[in-house]
Amino acid sequence: MRGGGIVVKEPVSEPKKSTRQPKAKAAPAEQKKNKAPIKLELIVTVVPKKKAEFFIDLIQSYEVNFQTYMLASGTASTEILNYLGQVTDKIAIFSLARADKVDDILYALEQKFHTIKGGKGIAVTLPMTSLIGTSIYTFLCNAVEAAPGGM
Amino acid sequence: MKETKKEIKYEMILCIVNAGFSETVMDAAKEAGARGGTVIRARGTANKDAEELFQITVHSDKEIVMILVPTDIKDAVLSAVYGAVDVSETRCVAFSLPVNRTLGLG
Repeated sequence: MRGGGIVVKEPVSEPKKSTRQPKAKAAPAEQKKNKAPIKLELIVTVVPKKKAEFFIDLIQSYEVNFQTYMLASGTASTEILNYLGQVTDKIAIFSLARADKVDDILYALEQKFHTIKGGKGIAVTLPMTSLIGTSIYTFLCNAVEAAPGGM
Repeated sequence: MKETKKEIKYEMILCIVNAGFSETVMDAAKEAGARGGTVIRARGTANKDAEELFQITVHSDKEIVMILVPTDIKDAVLSAVYGAVDVSETRCVAFSLPVNRTLGLG
């Protein structure tokens, strides 16, 4: 407010004392037990064959313990490809990643798609709803604390 | 993830067909609005007893056609594929999976 206006201040009330009892902190073991399971997602990345190893290593660096890849081919018409001088040889990489790491992986992939010459590709993520085997699950989640030899 | 576009919802159509029929599938999908796809070579397996019971033979050489399409044309693409292929000849199995996020399109 400009000039000599009157500013009415509200009386400062004392902070109310909460009648709630603070929640008792769960024991570390109990906290660990009640932890929500980490979700997994399947990332399908289609990249040129020559750059496959680079992208596999890149994805692996984000705590992705299991990946499989296979030779694939694009379906663009051969006339267009001949004209552009490109080849259809691709690699489809299937990576099982923790859902909380997917954003980081996609961000890294996008950076590389834009910056690497001849490294353009696509990536999609599919949700996983079920999985069999706890040891496999811990392996895929990279849950080091749950590993037999872990801390 | 700021750069990922979330405006268009996509689904991934997977068509498992006998080897050599991926072009038929892609042609039909393109007519229905799909832009492109990826073909993976695969091997199929089947229950031998069931094969004898139903008197069908499952060719082990397969091709998997992965087609990423916007959700609104998914049904049209699936219908077009189903209409274009001879199911008894190609042994086409087509289904779609939801896609959370996409990268590198457009």
